[in-house]
Amino acid sequence: MGDRYRLALCVVAVVVLFMFGGLIKLQIVQHDELSALSESNRLRVVPIVPPRGIMYDREGRQIVNNRPSYTLSVVPAEEVKGKTLANLSTVIGLDTTQIRRNVRRTMITQYQPAPIMRDVPFDKIAVLEERSGDFPGISYQMDRVRQYVAPPGSEAFSGYVGELSADEVERVDPDLYRLGSMIGKKGLEKQYDQLLRGKEGTAYFEVFSSGQVLGPYAGKQRVEAVAGADLTLSIDLDLQQLATQVFDSFCCGAIVAMDPRTGEVLALTSYPGFDANVFSGVVSESLWNAVSTNPAHPLLNRDLNGLYPPGSTFKLITVGAGLEERAIDINSTFRPCYGGYQFGTRFFRCWDKGGHGILTATHALEASCDVYMYQLGLKIGIDGLSKYMGACGFGKPTGIDLPGEAAGLNPNTEWYNSRYGKNRWTNALTLNNAIGQGEILTTPIQLAQFYCGLANHGLVYRPHLVKSIRYPNGKSAPVTPELSFKLPFSESTLATLNEGLRLVVEGNQGTARRLKNDLYSIGGKTGTAQNPHGNDHSWFVGVAPLENPEIVCCAIVENAGHGSEVAAPVVGQIIKKYMEKKLGLNKVAQATIPEVQP
Amino acid sequence: MILNYRNLDWKLIGVAFALSVIGILLIMSATHFSSSSFERYYYQRQALWLCVAMFVFAVIVHLPFRFLDLLAYLFYAVGVILLALVLVIGHTRLGASRWFDLGPISLSPSDVGKIGLLLALARFFAYTRLPVTSKRRLALSALLMLVPALLVLKQPDLGTSLVFFVVLFALWFWSGLSPLYLLLIVTPIASLVTASHWLSWAIYLVALLVFLTLLKPGMLFSVVAFTSNLGFGMITPFMWNRLADYQKSRIITFLDPGHDPRGAGYQIIQSKIAIGSGGLWGKGFLSGSQAKLDFLPERHTDFIFSVLGEEFGLLGCLIVIVLFGYLFFRCLKIAVRCRSRFASYLIAGATAIIFFQFVVNIGMAIGIMPVTGLPLPFLSYGGTALVLFWTLIALIVSADYNWQEY
Repeated sequence: MGDRYRLALCVVAVVVLFMFGGLIKLQIVQHDELSALSESNRLRVVPIVPPRGIMYDREGRQIVNNRPSYTLSVVPAEEVKGKTLANLSTVIGLDTTQIRRNVRRTMITQYQPAPIMRDVPFDKIAVLEERSGDFPGISYQMDRVRQYVAPPGSEAFSGYVGELSADEVERVDPDLYRLGSMIGKKGLEKQYDQLLRGKEGTAYFEVFSSGQVLGPYAGKQRVEAVAGADLTLSIDLDLQQLATQVFDSFCCGAIVAMDPRTGEVLALTSYPGFDANVFSGVVSESLWNAVSTNPAHPLLNRDLNGLYPPGSTFKLITVGAGLEERAIDINSTFRPCYGGYQFGTRFFRCWDKGGHGILTATHALEASCDVYMYQLGLKIGIDGLSKYMGACGFGKPTGIDLPGEAAGLNPNTEWYNSRYGKNRWTNALTLNNAIGQGEILTTPIQLAQFYCGLANHGLVYRPHLVKSIRYPNGKSAPVTPELSFKLPFSESTLATLNEGLRLVVEGNQGTARRLKNDLYSIGGKTGTAQNPHGNDHSWFVGVAPLENPEIVCCAIVENAGHGSEVAAPVVGQIIKKYMEKKLGLNKVAQATIPEVQP
Repeated sequence: MILNYRNLDWKLIGVAFALSVIGILLIMSATHFSSSSFERYYYQRQALWLCVAMFVFAVIVHLPFRFLDLLAYLFYAVGVILLALVLVIGHTRLGASRWFDLGPISLSPSDVGKIGLLLALARFFAYTRLPVTSKRRLALSALLMLVPALLVLKQPDLGTSLVFFVVLFALWFWSGLSPLYLLLIVTPIASLVTASHWLSWAIYLVALLVFLTLLKPGMLFSVVAFTSNLGFGMITPFMWNRLADYQKSRIITFLDPGHDPRGAGYQIIQSKIAIGSGGLWGKGFLSGSQAKLDFLPERHTDFIFSVLGEEFGLLGCLIVIVLFGYLFFRCLKIAVRCRSRFASYLIAGATAIIFFQFVVNIGMAIGIMPVTGLPLPFLSYGGTALVLFWTLIALIVSADYNWQEY
C-alpha cells in the first residue's frame, strides 16, 4: 500500500509540475506575444474617410462634388439562405450569384456588414425599409459618392475615381491607400489625387468576437481625418457646356480653349465622352466592355491623346520658318499656283483646283495655298521644318497638369531613315510636311499651345487647369502661370503670322470669312487633315480679340471634311460665347456669326 | 446517523468549498457581459446548485457507510439503466444525447453512471477472492466498466467514457496490479496513436522491444504485449475512419492548432491567448477581454480555467492547482489510512475521477492535451457535475469518518 501511495503522489506531483511548466511558458515566456494577440483580437481599426475635395470652375460653380448616398450591405451570419438574397435580387436587380461574388470580395467577418452595392437609389432603400422582414441580414449605411455635374465630355479633364484594385495596391504608398479605397483613375482626379483625397483618419473600436462594437478602444487615440483640398479650375462652365453642345451633331472630336496670356484652359472636351458618374465606384464588366469596345473610343481623351496630322494649321510654322531662315521676306513670291505643283514625276495638287495665282506669305496663309507652301517647304528642307516644329512645342508633351499626355510625332531625316531606310524616301515627303500632312502627328492641346504663343508675343505659358488650391485650413494658394518656352520667331515674323491669321477671317480670299463680324476682331487658321481611314478631319484654331488676344480655341471634328465648313463655325460659337460674357450679352447677340452647320 | 462533526475532515471540505466558490466567481466573470440575460445569471444558478450539492453531501455523510457498500450494485444498475434510457429518450444537443430534460434543469446520467461504476468496482475488488493477476478478475472488472462506458461512447461522448476506463485503471492499480502490467495494458493505445505516421510507429515499436527486453516480464507476456501493439497499430487507419468529423478535427487540432485557426483550432488558440495575456498577476476580476468579448468559447464550462488564467494570472492558477494538489494529497492519505478495503478503493477511484478531469481539462486549456470537453471539477458550470463531485467528496469524507471500520 505504501508503494502505491508514494507512486500515486509522484504522479500527482509530476502532473502539477507539468502544469506549472505549461503556465510559465504561456504566462511568462510568451506573455508579450499573447498579450499583443489578445489586444489585436478585440481591436477593430476603422478608417475615417474624409470628404474628397470639390472642383469649382473659374466662377465658383461646382464641377465635381460629393453626393450623399446609401451603400447596401449584408451581414452574412444573419442572412437567411434562400430568402434574403432571393428577395433582394428582385429589388436591386442584381442576380444572387453576382451578390454572392460582391459579398465574397468585401466580407471581413461573418458578423460585419459586407457591402453589396454602392449608391442605391432612395426608392429601393424605401422598399427595403418597408418590407424589412423580407430581408433578414440586410442593412444600409450612409456614404458619399463622387458626383460629376459638368456635361459629359468634361470627363476629359475631370477624370473619375474608382476603387483601388488588388494589383494597383502594390504600386501606391501603403500609408495613404488601402485596398478598396477610392483613388483617382484618370484626369485631374488622378493628377491631384493626394490633394483631393486628404488624409484618412483612424478610429479604434473594441469589438466582441462577433464583430459587434462595444465602444471606443481605450488604448489608442483616434486619429481625425484631414479633408481633401478643393480645386478651383480655370474652366469656364459656360464655354464647357457649349463645347459639348456643339458636338451633338457630330460623331467625334475635341475642343480646347485657352487663355494665351496665362496658359489657363477655359474649356476642354473630348467627344464622345462618357458619364464619369457611372464609373465612380464599382464598374460592372458589361459596362466596361460596352465602353471600351465602342468604335468611337469614348475612353480616348482626344485633346491629349488624339494624334492627328495638323493639316493647314501647320502652315504658320512653314511660313514662320521661311521668314526666320530668310528663305522669304514679306514681299517674296513663288511661281504662281495653277491648282497644283509638278514635283519630279508627281503632281502635287492644291486644295483649290482653280488655283491662287501669285501670292505673298500673308495671302498664302489667307487662302491656305498649298502650292506656295510646297515651294517654301522645299527651300527650308525637311529638317528645317522639323527644327521649327520642335521649337514650337510639337513632338513632346505640353506638360499640362493631366496625366498620360501623348507626345505626337515630329519626323526628321533621322526618323525617316530609320523608318524607310536610307535613300529609300524622297524629298516629296517635304512637300507633304510643308502643308501639315504626311507623318506629322499633333494633339489638339499642342496645336492650341502653339497658337497661344502666336497670340501672346511668342511667349508660351504651360497649359494648366488648376487656378488655385484651397486647403482644408482655409488657405488658398493660387497657381502662378509658368512660362514654358518662347516661339523661335522674331517680333516681325510674329506680326506677319498674325496678319495671316487676321486675313483668314477678314481677307477676301480668307478660308474662314464667315466668322467675320463688326463687333470684335477674330483671326484663325483652318485645316483639313487627310485621313487614310475615311473622310478628312476638320480643324480650326481661332484667336480673339486680335488686337490683344484673350482666347485661343482649337477644334477638331473627325471625318467632317474641310476646316472652313465645320470646325471654324464650331470655334466661332465658342469665341462668340466668350465675347458675349466679356462685352455684355445684347451687343454681341447682334453680331452675325453663322450657326454651326453639320 | 448522529455524527461527531468535529471528526469530519474539514480541511478536505474546505478545499472543495473554496474551489466551488472560486468557480462561481469565474462563472460570473465569464458570463457577466453576455448578451443573453439567461447566461448572465449562470453564476446564481451555480450558487443554487452548490446549495443542492451541499445538501446531497450532508445526506450522504449522514448515511451509514455500510449502506453504500451493500447497495453498490444497485447504484450501478440504476446508472446503467439511466445511461441506456438517455440514448432512447434523451435530449439531443449538438448531435449528442447526453441529457434528460427535466423542465428547468437537465440531468446528465453519465455522472450517475460514474458513481455507480465506482461503487460497483470498489465492492468487486474489495470482496473478490481471485488473485490479482487472474484473467477472470481482470475480465470481470473490465466487463463491469465496459457496459456503462460503451453506452456513454454511443451518445457519443469519448471524453466521459475515458473517465470510466480511468476508474477501472485506478482500481486495478490500487488493488495491487503491478504497474508494469498496467503499462502494457495501456501500450496498445499508445500504439494506436503513434501509428498515425509510419515513422513514429516504427520508433515506438523499437522502444517497446527495448523496454520488454530490459524488463523481462516473461516470454508469453512479452509476445502478447507486442502482438497486441502491432494489431492496434494496424487498425489505426480503420479506427480513424470510424471517428466522427469533430473527433478527427479535435485530434488534428491538438497536434497543430494553427491548422485551421478560425475553425477547430480556434478554441485552443483563444484559450492560450487568454491565459498567456493574463501574465503574472492577471487582468483583474471581470476585466478579461478574451472572456468579456466572447473570444473564449465555452468559457463558463470547458474553458473556465482560461478565464482564471486571464483574470488572475499565474498567481491565481497556482493557487487553484495547489488547492487541487492538496485535495489529492489529502484523499490519498485517507485512502491509505482506511482499514476497510471497500472504503480505500472507493476513495482511490473517486480521487482518480477528480484527478483525471483536472488533468485533462487544464491540459486542454493550456494546450498540452486535446480538446475533450470534460469540465474542471468544482469550477466548471454544470449542476449535475457539481453534485457529482460533492458526492465524491461526501464518499471520501464519510469513509474517512469511519476509517477504523473494517
